[in-house]
Amino acid sequence: MARARAARVLVRRGALGRGLMTVPAALIYIGLMVVPVGYAVYYSFTSYNGIPSQTPEWVGLENYTRIFADPTGDMHSSLAVTGLIAVVGAFAVNVIALGLALLLRRTTPFTAFARAVMFYPHVLSALIVGFLWQAVLGPQGAVNNLLEGSGRSTLPFLSDPDWALATMIAVIVWAQLGVQLVLYLAGLQAVPADLQEAATLDGAGRVKVFQHVTWPALAPTVTVTIVTSVLSLLKVYEVVLGLTNGGPGDATQTWAYEILAVSFANNKVGLACAQAVLLIVVAGVLSFTIIALRRRAEEGAEALS
Amino acid sequence: MSQSGSRTARSRATVRNVAIAVLSVAMLVPLYIVVVNAFKPQQEILLSPLGLDLGTATTQFLQDAWTNPNFPVVSGYAVTLFLVVACNVVAIGVSVPTAYVIARTPTVLFRVLLMFFVAGMFIPAQIILVPAIFVLKALHLMGTLPGLVLFMSSTMIPFTLFIFTGFIRMLPRSLDEAAAIDGASQQRVLWRIVFPLMKPIVATAFILNALSAWNDFVSPQLILGPGSSFRTITTGVYAAVSSYTTNYEIVFPTLLLAVVPILLIFVLMQRHVMSGLSAGAVKG
Repeated sequence: MARARAARVLVRRGALGRGLMTVPAALIYIGLMVVPVGYAVYYSFTSYNGIPSQTPEWVGLENYTRIFADPTGDMHSSLAVTGLIAVVGAFAVNVIALGLALLLRRTTPFTAFARAVMFYPHVLSALIVGFLWQAVLGPQGAVNNLLEGSGRSTLPFLSDPDWALATMIAVIVWAQLGVQLVLYLAGLQAVPADLQEAATLDGAGRVKVFQHVTWPALAPTVTVTIVTSVLSLLKVYEVVLGLTNGGPGDATQTWAYEILAVSFANNKVGLACAQAVLLIVVAGVLSFTIIALRRRAEEGAEALS
Repeated sequence: MSQSGSRTARSRATVRNVAIAVLSVAMLVPLYIVVVNAFKPQQEILLSPLGLDLGTATTQFLQDAWTNPNFPVVSGYAVTLFLVVACNVVAIGVSVPTAYVIARTPTVLFRVLLMFFVAGMFIPAQIILVPAIFVLKALHLMGTLPGLVLFMSSTMIPFTLFIFTGFIRMLPRSLDEAAAIDGASQQRVLWRIVFPLMKPIVATAFILNALSAWNDFVSPQLILGPGSSFRTITTGVYAAVSSYTTNYEIVFPTLLLAVVPILLIFVLMQRHVMSGLSAGAVKG
Protein backbone atom coordinates (compact mmCIF):
# COMPACT_ATOMS: atom_id res chain seq x y z
CA MET A 1 0.00 0.00 0.00
CA ALA A 2 2.68 2.43 1.07
CA ARG A 3 4.92 1.17 -1.70
CA ALA A 4 2.20 1.62 -4.30
CA ARG A 5 1.75 5.21 -3.12
CA ALA A 6 5.47 5.76 -3.29
CA ALA A 7 5.52 4.41 -6.81
CA ARG A 8 2.67 6.70 -7.78
CA VAL A 9 4.47 9.70 -6.29
CA LEU A 10 7.54 8.70 -8.23
CA VAL A 11 5.59 8.48 -11.46
CA ARG A 12 3.98 11.83 -10.81
CA ARG A 13 7.33 13.37 -9.96
CA GLY A 14 8.62 11.86 -13.19
CA ALA A 15 5.82 13.50 -15.12
CA LEU A 16 6.46 16.81 -13.41
CA GLY A 17 10.18 16.52 -14.09
CA ARG A 18 9.46 15.73 -17.72
CA GLY A 19 7.16 18.71 -18.00
CA LEU A 20 9.78 20.96 -16.43
CA MET A 21 12.38 19.86 -18.96
CA THR A 22 10.34 21.40 -21.78
CA VAL A 23 10.00 24.76 -20.02
CA PRO A 24 13.22 26.54 -21.15
CA ALA A 25 12.63 25.81 -24.85
CA ALA A 26 8.94 26.66 -24.54
CA LEU A 27 9.69 29.96 -22.77
CA ILE A 28 12.10 31.19 -25.44
CA TYR A 29 10.01 29.91 -28.34
CA ILE A 30 6.72 31.25 -26.99
CA GLY A 31 8.25 34.53 -25.83
CA LEU A 32 10.01 35.42 -29.07
CA MET A 33 8.04 33.64 -31.79
CA VAL A 34 4.53 32.84 -30.60
CA VAL A 35 3.86 36.02 -28.63
CA PRO A 36 5.20 38.15 -31.51
CA VAL A 37 2.77 36.39 -33.86
CA GLY A 38 0.04 37.37 -31.37
CA TYR A 39 1.35 40.95 -31.29
CA ALA A 40 1.43 41.00 -35.10
CA VAL A 41 -2.17 39.84 -35.32
CA TYR A 42 -3.26 42.41 -32.71
CA TYR A 43 -1.30 45.33 -34.23
CA SER A 44 -2.56 44.39 -37.69
CA PHE A 45 -6.01 45.57 -36.54
CA THR A 46 -4.66 48.88 -35.21
CA SER A 47 -3.11 52.06 -36.56
CA TYR A 48 -0.06 51.70 -34.30
CA ASN A 49 2.99 53.74 -35.28
CA GLY A 50 5.46 52.09 -32.91
CA ILE A 51 5.94 55.08 -30.63
CA PRO A 52 5.75 53.81 -27.03
CA SER A 53 3.70 56.75 -25.74
CA GLN A 54 0.99 56.18 -28.35
CA THR A 55 -1.57 53.50 -27.59
CA PRO A 56 -2.54 51.38 -30.59
CA GLU A 57 -5.91 52.52 -31.91
CA TRP A 58 -8.28 49.79 -33.09
CA VAL A 59 -9.12 50.25 -36.76
CA GLY A 60 -10.60 46.82 -37.55
CA LEU A 61 -9.80 45.51 -41.01
CA GLU A 62 -8.54 48.83 -42.35
CA ASN A 63 -4.93 47.66 -42.80
CA TYR A 64 -6.09 44.55 -44.65
CA THR A 65 -8.50 46.40 -46.92
CA ARG A 66 -5.66 48.81 -47.60
CA ILE A 67 -3.44 45.95 -48.70
CA PHE A 68 -6.12 44.60 -51.04
CA ALA A 69 -7.38 47.97 -52.36
CA ASP A 70 -3.79 49.28 -52.46
CA PRO A 71 -4.27 53.02 -53.18
CA THR A 72 -0.54 53.66 -53.66
CA GLY A 73 0.05 50.60 -55.85
CA ASP A 74 3.12 49.58 -53.79
CA MET A 75 1.70 46.45 -52.29
CA HIS A 76 0.35 44.89 -55.45
CA SER A 77 3.61 45.44 -57.27
CA SER A 78 5.60 43.87 -54.42
CA LEU A 79 3.17 40.94 -54.36
CA ALA A 80 3.67 40.47 -58.10
CA VAL A 81 7.46 40.72 -57.74
CA THR A 82 7.48 38.16 -54.91
CA GLY A 83 5.12 35.84 -56.79
CA LEU A 84 7.32 35.98 -59.87
CA ILE A 85 10.47 35.33 -57.82
CA ALA A 86 8.81 32.40 -56.05
CA VAL A 87 7.44 30.75 -59.20
CA VAL A 88 10.25 31.42 -61.70
CA GLY A 89 12.97 31.13 -59.06
CA ALA A 90 11.71 27.85 -57.60
CA PHE A 91 11.31 26.36 -61.08
CA ALA A 92 14.76 27.47 -62.25
CA VAL A 93 16.53 26.45 -59.04
CA ASN A 94 14.98 23.00 -59.09
CA VAL A 95 15.53 22.30 -62.78
CA ILE A 96 19.16 23.46 -62.66
CA ALA A 97 19.88 21.70 -59.37
CA LEU A 98 18.39 18.43 -60.61
CA GLY A 99 20.35 18.68 -63.87
CA LEU A 100 23.56 19.33 -61.96
CA ALA A 101 22.81 16.48 -59.57
CA LEU A 102 22.49 14.05 -62.50
CA LEU A 103 25.72 15.46 -63.91
CA LEU A 104 27.60 15.21 -60.60
CA ARG A 105 26.01 12.01 -59.44
CA ARG A 106 29.08 9.81 -59.45
CA THR A 107 31.57 10.58 -56.68
CA THR A 108 35.05 11.31 -57.97
CA PRO A 109 37.52 13.93 -56.72
CA PHE A 110 36.51 16.07 -59.70
CA THR A 111 32.76 15.93 -58.99
CA ALA A 112 33.40 16.47 -55.27
CA PHE A 113 35.27 19.65 -56.17
CA ALA A 114 32.49 20.74 -58.55
CA ARG A 115 29.83 20.11 -55.89
CA ALA A 116 31.68 22.36 -53.45
CA VAL A 117 32.01 25.03 -56.15
CA MET A 118 28.26 24.90 -56.86
CA PHE A 119 27.53 25.11 -53.14
CA TYR A 120 29.87 27.87 -51.98
CA PRO A 121 27.51 30.84 -52.64
CA HIS A 122 25.23 29.42 -49.96
CA VAL A 123 27.79 30.01 -47.21
CA LEU A 124 27.91 33.70 -48.11
CA SER A 125 25.39 36.07 -46.60
CA ALA A 126 22.60 37.05 -49.02
CA LEU A 127 23.47 40.70 -48.36
CA ILE A 128 27.07 40.12 -49.47
CA VAL A 129 25.85 38.17 -52.51
CA GLY A 130 23.76 41.22 -53.41
CA PHE A 131 26.66 43.68 -53.07
CA LEU A 132 28.94 41.30 -54.96
CA TRP A 133 26.66 41.04 -57.99
CA GLN A 134 25.91 44.75 -57.84
CA ALA A 135 29.65 45.32 -58.35
CA VAL A 136 29.68 42.81 -61.23
CA LEU A 137 26.49 43.82 -63.05
CA GLY A 138 25.90 47.44 -62.02
CA PRO A 139 25.93 50.27 -64.59
CA GLN A 140 29.65 50.73 -63.93
CA GLY A 141 30.22 47.14 -62.95
CA ALA A 142 32.76 44.70 -64.29
CA VAL A 143 30.61 43.26 -67.10
CA ASN A 144 29.53 46.62 -68.46
CA ASN A 145 33.09 47.93 -68.35
CA LEU A 146 34.20 44.93 -70.34
CA LEU A 147 31.44 45.52 -72.89
CA GLU A 148 32.35 49.20 -73.17
CA GLY A 149 36.03 48.38 -73.45
CA SER A 150 35.36 46.08 -76.40
CA GLY A 151 33.30 48.77 -78.12
CA ARG A 152 29.86 47.31 -77.47
CA SER A 153 26.95 49.02 -75.78
CA THR A 154 26.32 48.39 -72.10
CA LEU A 155 23.45 46.24 -70.82
CA PRO A 156 20.92 47.57 -68.28
CA PHE A 157 21.19 44.59 -65.88
CA LEU A 158 20.16 46.64 -62.87
CA SER A 159 18.99 49.93 -64.39
CA ASP A 160 15.99 48.74 -66.42
CA PRO A 161 12.99 47.56 -64.35
CA ASP A 162 12.42 44.30 -66.26
CA TRP A 163 16.13 43.53 -66.56
CA ALA A 164 16.64 44.25 -62.87
CA LEU A 165 13.98 41.76 -61.81
CA ALA A 166 15.35 39.11 -64.17
CA THR A 167 18.88 39.78 -62.92
CA MET A 168 17.75 39.49 -59.33
CA ILE A 169 16.06 36.15 -59.95
CA ALA A 170 19.22 34.90 -61.68
CA VAL A 171 21.37 36.01 -58.73
CA ILE A 172 19.04 34.29 -56.26
CA VAL A 173 19.18 31.13 -58.36
CA TRP A 174 23.00 31.34 -58.40
CA ALA A 175 23.03 31.65 -54.62
CA GLN A 176 20.50 28.93 -53.84
CA LEU A 177 21.03 26.16 -56.34
CA GLY A 178 23.78 24.55 -54.24
CA VAL A 179 21.44 23.72 -51.40
CA GLN A 180 18.93 22.04 -53.65
CA LEU A 181 21.77 20.28 -55.49
CA VAL A 182 22.86 18.67 -52.21
CA LEU A 183 19.29 17.58 -51.52
CA TYR A 184 18.91 16.08 -55.01
CA LEU A 185 22.24 14.26 -54.67
CA ALA A 186 21.03 12.76 -51.39
CA GLY A 187 17.74 11.84 -53.06
CA LEU A 188 19.50 10.18 -55.99
CA GLN A 189 21.35 7.89 -53.58
CA ALA A 190 17.99 6.54 -52.48
CA VAL A 191 16.99 5.59 -56.03
CA PRO A 192 17.11 1.78 -56.15
CA ALA A 193 20.15 0.94 -58.28
CA ASP A 194 18.91 -2.55 -59.19
CA LEU A 195 15.77 -1.07 -60.71
CA GLN A 196 17.81 1.27 -62.88
CA GLU A 197 20.06 -1.56 -63.97
CA ALA A 198 17.10 -3.80 -64.76
CA ALA A 199 15.50 -1.03 -66.84
CA THR A 200 18.76 -0.47 -68.74
CA LEU A 201 19.13 -4.21 -69.37
CA ASP A 202 15.58 -4.27 -70.68
CA GLY A 203 16.74 -1.81 -73.30
CA ALA A 204 15.30 1.38 -71.85
CA GLY A 205 17.18 4.52 -72.95
CA ARG A 206 18.53 7.09 -70.51
CA VAL A 207 15.45 9.27 -70.92
CA LYS A 208 13.13 6.33 -70.28
CA VAL A 209 15.08 5.26 -67.19
CA PHE A 210 14.91 8.79 -65.82
CA GLN A 211 11.20 9.12 -66.64
CA HIS A 212 10.05 5.79 -65.24
CA VAL A 213 12.56 4.99 -62.48
CA THR A 214 14.65 7.95 -61.30
CA TRP A 215 12.04 10.71 -61.38
CA PRO A 216 9.28 8.75 -59.59
CA ALA A 217 11.77 7.59 -56.94
CA LEU A 218 12.85 11.20 -56.37
CA ALA A 219 9.30 12.27 -55.46
CA PRO A 220 9.89 12.80 -51.71
CA THR A 221 13.03 14.82 -52.46
CA VAL A 222 11.16 16.97 -54.94
CA THR A 223 8.56 17.79 -52.27
CA VAL A 224 11.28 18.89 -49.85
CA THR A 225 13.12 20.96 -52.46
CA ILE A 226 9.97 22.70 -53.69
CA VAL A 227 8.77 23.55 -50.19
CA THR A 228 12.18 24.78 -48.99
CA SER A 229 12.85 26.81 -52.12
CA VAL A 230 9.39 28.41 -52.17
CA LEU A 231 9.61 29.22 -48.44
CA SER A 232 13.00 30.87 -48.83
CA LEU A 233 11.98 32.72 -52.02
CA LEU A 234 8.88 34.19 -50.36
CA LYS A 235 11.02 36.01 -47.78
CA VAL A 236 13.75 37.36 -50.07
CA TYR A 237 15.01 40.59 -48.54
CA GLU A 238 18.76 40.90 -47.97
CA VAL A 239 19.77 40.19 -51.55
CA VAL A 240 17.41 43.01 -52.64
CA LEU A 241 19.09 45.38 -50.21
CA GLY A 242 22.53 44.62 -51.59
CA LEU A 243 21.71 44.28 -55.28
CA THR A 244 19.14 46.95 -56.13
CA ASN A 245 17.77 48.41 -52.90
CA GLY A 246 14.34 47.79 -54.43
CA GLY A 247 14.96 49.83 -57.58
CA PRO A 248 14.86 51.05 -60.19
CA GLY A 249 11.65 52.62 -58.86
CA ASP A 250 9.92 49.79 -57.07
CA ALA A 251 10.71 47.18 -59.74
CA THR A 252 12.49 44.79 -57.36
CA GLN A 253 10.72 45.56 -54.08
CA THR A 254 9.69 42.24 -52.59
CA TRP A 255 7.02 41.57 -50.01
CA ALA A 256 9.59 41.33 -47.20
CA TYR A 257 11.21 44.54 -48.47
CA GLU A 258 7.81 46.23 -48.36
CA ILE A 259 7.31 45.11 -44.74
CA LEU A 260 10.77 45.99 -43.40
CA ALA A 261 12.10 48.81 -45.54
CA VAL A 262 8.84 50.60 -46.45
CA SER A 263 6.06 50.08 -43.87
CA PHE A 264 8.13 49.41 -40.74
CA ALA A 265 10.82 51.92 -41.66
CA ASN A 266 8.11 54.57 -42.00
CA ASN A 267 6.64 53.68 -38.59
CA LYS A 268 3.52 52.10 -40.07
CA VAL A 269 3.67 49.23 -37.60
CA GLY A 270 -0.01 48.34 -37.97
CA LEU A 271 0.30 48.02 -41.73
CA ALA A 272 3.64 46.19 -41.51
CA CYS A 273 2.08 43.66 -39.12
CA ALA A 274 -0.91 43.09 -41.41
CA GLN A 275 1.49 42.45 -44.29
CA ALA A 276 3.55 40.13 -42.07
CA VAL A 277 0.49 38.15 -40.92
CA LEU A 278 -0.59 37.75 -44.53
CA LEU A 279 2.87 36.54 -45.56
CA ILE A 280 2.94 33.97 -42.74
CA VAL A 281 -0.53 32.72 -43.73
CA VAL A 282 0.46 32.47 -47.40
CA ALA A 283 3.72 30.65 -46.53
CA GLY A 284 1.86 28.17 -44.34
CA VAL A 285 -1.00 27.56 -46.78
CA LEU A 286 1.37 27.18 -49.73
CA SER A 287 3.60 24.71 -47.87
CA PHE A 288 0.72 22.52 -46.82
CA THR A 289 -0.86 22.69 -50.28
CA ILE A 290 2.38 21.58 -51.91
CA ILE A 291 2.85 18.79 -49.37
CA ALA A 292 -0.73 17.61 -49.89
CA LEU A 293 -0.49 17.77 -53.68
CA ARG A 294 2.80 15.88 -53.62
CA ARG A 295 1.46 13.06 -51.46
CA ARG A 296 0.27 11.06 -54.43
CA ALA A 297 3.61 11.29 -56.21
CA GLU A 298 5.33 10.17 -53.00
CA GLU A 299 3.07 7.16 -52.68
CA GLY A 300 4.29 6.19 -56.14
CA ALA A 301 7.86 6.44 -54.86
CA GLU A 302 7.07 4.14 -51.95
CA ALA A 303 5.59 1.59 -54.33
CA LEU A 304 8.85 1.64 -56.27
CA SER A 305 11.20 0.86 -53.42
CA MET B 1 30.18 -3.22 -81.35
CA SER B 2 31.48 -3.25 -77.82
CA GLN B 3 34.38 -1.06 -78.88
CA SER B 4 32.16 1.58 -80.41
CA GLY B 5 30.00 1.35 -77.28
CA SER B 6 32.95 2.12 -75.06
CA ARG B 7 33.99 4.90 -77.39
CA THR B 8 30.60 6.63 -77.14
CA ALA B 9 30.71 6.09 -73.40
CA ARG B 10 34.13 7.71 -73.26
CA SER B 11 33.15 10.66 -75.45
CA ARG B 12 30.02 11.09 -73.34
CA ALA B 13 32.18 11.21 -70.22
CA THR B 14 34.39 13.83 -71.87
CA VAL B 15 31.40 15.98 -72.76
CA ARG B 16 30.18 15.65 -69.20
CA ASN B 17 33.51 16.62 -67.70
CA VAL B 18 33.84 19.63 -69.99
CA ALA B 19 30.34 20.75 -69.03
CA ILE B 20 31.16 20.38 -65.34
CA ALA B 21 34.40 22.33 -65.76
CA VAL B 22 32.71 25.18 -67.65
CA LEU B 23 29.90 25.46 -65.09
CA SER B 24 32.37 25.40 -62.20
CA VAL B 25 34.41 28.20 -63.72
CA ALA B 26 31.21 30.20 -64.31
CA MET B 27 30.26 29.82 -60.65
CA LEU B 28 33.68 31.07 -59.57
CA VAL B 29 33.87 34.15 -61.83
CA PRO B 30 32.25 36.57 -59.32
CA LEU B 31 34.64 35.40 -56.61
CA TYR B 32 37.59 35.86 -58.96
CA ILE B 33 36.44 39.41 -59.71
CA VAL B 34 36.35 40.23 -55.99
CA VAL B 35 39.81 38.80 -55.39
CA VAL B 36 41.66 40.52 -58.24
CA ASN B 37 39.92 43.86 -57.87
CA ALA B 38 40.61 44.08 -54.14
CA PHE B 39 44.22 44.92 -55.04
CA LYS B 40 43.56 47.57 -57.70
CA PRO B 41 42.82 51.32 -57.74
CA GLN B 42 39.42 52.47 -59.04
CA GLN B 43 40.74 53.58 -62.44
CA GLU B 44 42.26 50.19 -63.14
CA ILE B 45 39.15 48.35 -61.94
CA LEU B 46 37.07 50.32 -64.41
CA LEU B 47 39.51 49.85 -67.28
CA SER B 48 40.21 46.15 -66.89
CA PRO B 49 37.94 44.44 -64.36
CA LEU B 50 39.34 40.96 -64.99
CA GLY B 51 43.07 41.55 -65.17
CA LEU B 52 45.61 41.86 -62.41
CA ASP B 53 48.79 43.79 -63.14
CA LEU B 54 51.24 42.60 -60.51
CA GLY B 55 53.34 45.71 -61.10
CA THR B 56 50.61 48.07 -59.84
CA ALA B 57 48.86 45.70 -57.44
CA THR B 58 48.66 47.12 -53.95
CA THR B 59 47.39 46.08 -50.55
CA GLN B 60 46.65 49.73 -49.75
CA PHE B 61 42.90 49.34 -50.20
CA LEU B 62 42.76 46.18 -48.13
CA GLN B 63 44.55 48.05 -45.35
CA ASP B 64 42.05 50.90 -45.68
CA ALA B 65 39.17 48.43 -45.49
CA TRP B 66 40.79 46.80 -42.45
CA THR B 67 40.88 50.14 -40.61
CA ASN B 68 37.51 51.40 -41.89
CA PRO B 69 35.68 52.66 -38.77
CA ASN B 70 32.32 51.60 -40.31
CA PHE B 71 33.38 47.95 -40.38
CA PRO B 72 35.67 47.09 -37.47
CA VAL B 73 36.85 43.78 -38.94
CA VAL B 74 38.32 42.10 -35.87
CA SER B 75 35.51 42.98 -33.49
CA GLY B 76 33.00 42.23 -36.25
CA TYR B 77 34.38 38.71 -36.44
CA ALA B 78 34.46 38.43 -32.65
CA VAL B 79 30.81 39.49 -32.31
CA THR B 80 29.71 37.18 -35.14
CA LEU B 81 31.59 34.21 -33.67
CA PHE B 82 30.10 34.96 -30.28
CA LEU B 83 26.60 34.93 -31.83
CA VAL B 84 27.28 31.62 -33.57
CA VAL B 85 28.40 29.97 -30.33
CA ALA B 86 25.91 31.60 -27.96
CA CYS B 87 22.85 30.97 -30.16
CA ASN B 88 23.88 27.35 -30.65
CA VAL B 89 24.46 26.81 -26.94
CA VAL B 90 21.04 28.23 -26.13
CA ALA B 91 19.13 26.56 -28.99
CA ILE B 92 20.78 23.15 -28.59
CA GLY B 93 20.83 23.36 -24.79
CA VAL B 94 17.09 23.89 -24.48
CA SER B 95 16.18 21.61 -27.41
CA VAL B 96 17.94 18.50 -26.09
CA PRO B 97 15.82 18.01 -22.93
CA THR B 98 12.61 19.02 -24.70
CA ALA B 99 13.25 16.68 -27.62
CA TYR B 100 14.11 13.89 -25.18
CA VAL B 101 10.86 14.29 -23.27
CA ILE B 102 8.79 14.54 -26.45
CA ALA B 103 10.48 11.51 -28.02
CA ARG B 104 10.14 9.37 -24.89
CA THR B 105 6.57 10.31 -23.93
CA PRO B 106 4.23 8.90 -26.56
CA THR B 107 1.12 10.76 -25.40
CA VAL B 108 -1.17 13.00 -27.44
CA LEU B 109 -0.17 16.00 -25.34
CA PHE B 110 3.49 15.73 -26.27
CA ARG B 111 2.72 15.01 -29.91
CA VAL B 112 0.71 18.22 -30.01
CA LEU B 113 3.59 20.00 -28.26
CA LEU B 114 5.95 18.86 -31.03
CA MET B 115 3.57 20.15 -33.70
CA PHE B 116 3.33 23.44 -31.82
CA PHE B 117 7.11 23.82 -31.98
CA VAL B 118 7.42 22.60 -35.56
CA ALA B 119 4.87 25.17 -36.76
CA GLY B 120 7.62 27.73 -36.10
CA MET B 121 9.57 26.35 -39.07
CA PHE B 122 7.04 27.99 -41.37
CA ILE B 123 7.46 31.46 -39.83
CA PRO B 124 10.15 33.52 -41.61
CA ALA B 125 12.50 34.97 -38.99
CA GLN B 126 12.88 38.40 -40.55
CA ILE B 127 9.09 38.75 -40.82
CA ILE B 128 8.38 37.95 -37.17
CA LEU B 129 11.19 40.29 -36.13
CA VAL B 130 9.00 43.40 -36.40
CA PRO B 131 6.57 42.34 -33.64
CA ALA B 132 9.38 40.57 -31.71
CA ILE B 133 11.03 43.96 -31.33
CA PHE B 134 8.10 45.05 -29.16
CA VAL B 135 8.51 41.99 -26.93
CA LEU B 136 12.22 42.73 -26.58
CA LYS B 137 11.41 46.36 -25.76
CA ALA B 138 8.99 45.24 -23.04
CA LEU B 139 11.73 42.99 -21.59
CA HIS B 140 14.29 45.84 -21.81
CA LEU B 141 16.42 43.63 -24.06
CA MET B 142 16.21 45.82 -27.16
CA GLY B 143 19.65 46.95 -28.34
CA THR B 144 21.45 44.32 -26.26
CA LEU B 145 23.42 41.21 -27.18
CA PRO B 146 21.35 38.96 -24.85
CA GLY B 147 18.20 40.14 -26.61
CA LEU B 148 19.74 39.38 -30.00
CA VAL B 149 20.93 35.94 -28.87
CA LEU B 150 17.50 35.08 -27.46
CA PHE B 151 15.69 36.11 -30.63
CA MET B 152 18.07 34.31 -32.98
CA SER B 153 17.97 31.19 -30.77
CA SER B 154 14.18 31.21 -30.76
CA THR B 155 14.16 31.04 -34.56
CA MET B 156 16.54 28.04 -34.43
CA ILE B 157 14.56 26.04 -31.85
CA PRO B 158 11.83 24.62 -34.15
CA PHE B 159 14.20 22.96 -36.61
CA THR B 160 16.73 21.88 -33.96
CA LEU B 161 14.03 20.36 -31.78
CA PHE B 162 12.46 18.64 -34.77
CA ILE B 163 15.58 16.83 -35.95
CA PHE B 164 16.58 15.98 -32.35
CA THR B 165 13.19 14.39 -31.63
CA GLY B 166 13.40 12.29 -34.76
CA PHE B 167 16.91 11.18 -33.82
CA ILE B 168 16.13 10.25 -30.19
CA ARG B 169 13.10 8.25 -31.33
CA MET B 170 15.49 5.99 -33.24
CA LEU B 171 17.69 5.36 -30.18
CA PRO B 172 16.74 2.14 -28.37
CA ARG B 173 14.60 2.80 -25.31
CA SER B 174 16.22 -0.06 -23.40
CA LEU B 175 19.32 2.14 -23.06
CA ASP B 176 17.79 4.78 -20.83
CA GLU B 177 15.44 2.32 -19.10
CA ALA B 178 18.39 0.21 -17.96
CA ALA B 179 20.11 3.29 -16.57
CA ALA B 180 16.91 4.46 -14.88
CA ILE B 181 16.49 1.08 -13.16
CA ASP B 182 20.06 1.42 -11.90
CA GLY B 183 18.82 4.54 -10.13
CA ALA B 184 20.20 7.24 -12.39
CA SER B 185 18.10 10.41 -12.39
CA GLN B 186 16.38 11.56 -15.56
CA GLN B 187 18.85 14.42 -16.03
CA ARG B 188 21.75 12.03 -15.61
CA VAL B 189 20.33 9.57 -18.13
CA LEU B 190 19.78 12.39 -20.59
CA TRP B 191 23.14 14.14 -20.37
CA ARG B 192 25.38 11.15 -19.62
CA ILE B 193 23.83 8.49 -21.83
CA VAL B 194 21.52 9.95 -24.49
CA PHE B 195 23.33 13.20 -25.26
CA PRO B 196 26.70 11.59 -26.12
CA LEU B 197 24.88 9.36 -28.61
CA MET B 198 23.40 12.44 -30.27
CA LYS B 199 26.79 13.71 -31.50
CA PRO B 200 26.06 13.41 -35.26
CA ILE B 201 22.70 15.16 -35.09
CA VAL B 202 24.08 17.85 -32.75
CA ALA B 203 26.84 18.46 -35.30
CA THR B 204 24.24 18.81 -38.06
CA ALA B 205 22.19 21.27 -36.02
CA PHE B 206 25.32 23.20 -35.05
CA ILE B 207 26.49 23.60 -38.64
CA LEU B 208 23.11 24.68 -40.01
CA ASN B 209 22.43 27.06 -37.11
CA ALA B 210 25.96 28.44 -37.37
CA LEU B 211 25.46 29.24 -41.06
CA SER B 212 22.20 31.06 -40.41
CA ALA B 213 23.65 32.99 -37.43
CA TRP B 214 26.82 33.89 -39.34
CA ASN B 215 24.87 35.24 -42.32
CA ASP B 216 22.00 36.91 -40.48
CA PHE B 217 21.81 40.60 -41.26
CA VAL B 218 18.30 41.73 -40.40
CA SER B 219 18.27 40.56 -36.76
CA PRO B 220 21.50 42.28 -35.65
CA GLN B 221 20.73 45.35 -37.76
CA LEU B 222 17.28 45.89 -36.25
CA ILE B 223 17.80 44.56 -32.71
CA LEU B 224 21.20 46.13 -32.03
CA GLY B 225 20.34 49.18 -34.13
CA PRO B 226 22.42 50.74 -36.92
CA GLY B 227 24.26 52.97 -34.43
CA SER B 228 25.22 50.13 -32.11
CA SER B 229 28.81 49.75 -30.95
CA PHE B 230 28.49 46.06 -31.77
CA ARG B 231 28.80 45.28 -35.46
CA THR B 232 28.60 41.83 -37.00
CA ILE B 233 30.27 41.04 -40.30
CA THR B 234 27.05 41.62 -42.21
CA THR B 235 26.03 44.85 -40.47
CA GLY B 236 29.64 46.06 -40.77
CA VAL B 237 29.71 45.37 -44.51
CA TYR B 238 26.38 47.16 -44.87
CA ALA B 239 27.67 50.20 -42.99
CA ALA B 240 30.88 50.26 -45.02
CA VAL B 241 29.47 49.58 -48.48
CA SER B 242 25.81 50.57 -48.81
CA SER B 243 26.48 54.29 -49.40
CA TYR B 244 29.51 53.68 -51.61
CA THR B 245 28.40 50.92 -53.98
CA THR B 246 30.27 52.42 -56.94
CA ASN B 247 33.45 53.17 -55.03
CA TYR B 248 35.08 49.88 -55.89
CA GLU B 249 38.21 50.70 -53.91
CA ILE B 250 35.95 50.25 -50.87
CA VAL B 251 33.53 47.59 -52.17
CA PHE B 252 35.93 44.87 -53.31
CA PRO B 253 38.43 44.90 -50.40
CA THR B 254 35.57 45.01 -47.87
CA LEU B 255 33.79 42.08 -49.53
CA LEU B 256 37.05 40.16 -49.68
CA LEU B 257 37.64 40.62 -45.94
CA ALA B 258 34.06 39.49 -45.30
CA VAL B 259 34.10 36.33 -47.42
CA VAL B 260 37.61 34.89 -47.09
CA PRO B 261 37.33 33.40 -43.58
CA ILE B 262 33.93 31.77 -44.13
CA LEU B 263 35.11 30.37 -47.46
CA LEU B 264 38.23 28.94 -45.81
CA ILE B 265 36.09 27.33 -43.11
CA PHE B 266 33.82 25.97 -45.83
CA VAL B 267 36.73 24.50 -47.80
CA LEU B 268 38.00 22.75 -44.67
CA MET B 269 34.58 21.52 -43.56
CA GLN B 270 32.72 21.24 -46.86
CA ARG B 271 31.96 17.56 -46.54
CA HIS B 272 30.43 18.09 -43.10
CA VAL B 273 28.48 21.16 -44.20
CA MET B 274 26.99 19.47 -47.25
CA SER B 275 26.24 16.12 -45.60
CA GLY B 276 24.83 17.94 -42.58
CA LEU B 277 22.46 19.78 -44.85
CA SER B 278 21.16 16.66 -46.55
CA ALA B 279 20.92 14.83 -43.21
CA GLY B 280 18.85 17.71 -41.86
CA ALA B 281 16.59 17.68 -44.90
CA VAL B 282 16.09 13.92 -44.86
CA LYS B 283 15.11 14.08 -41.21
CA GLY B 284 12.95 17.10 -41.98
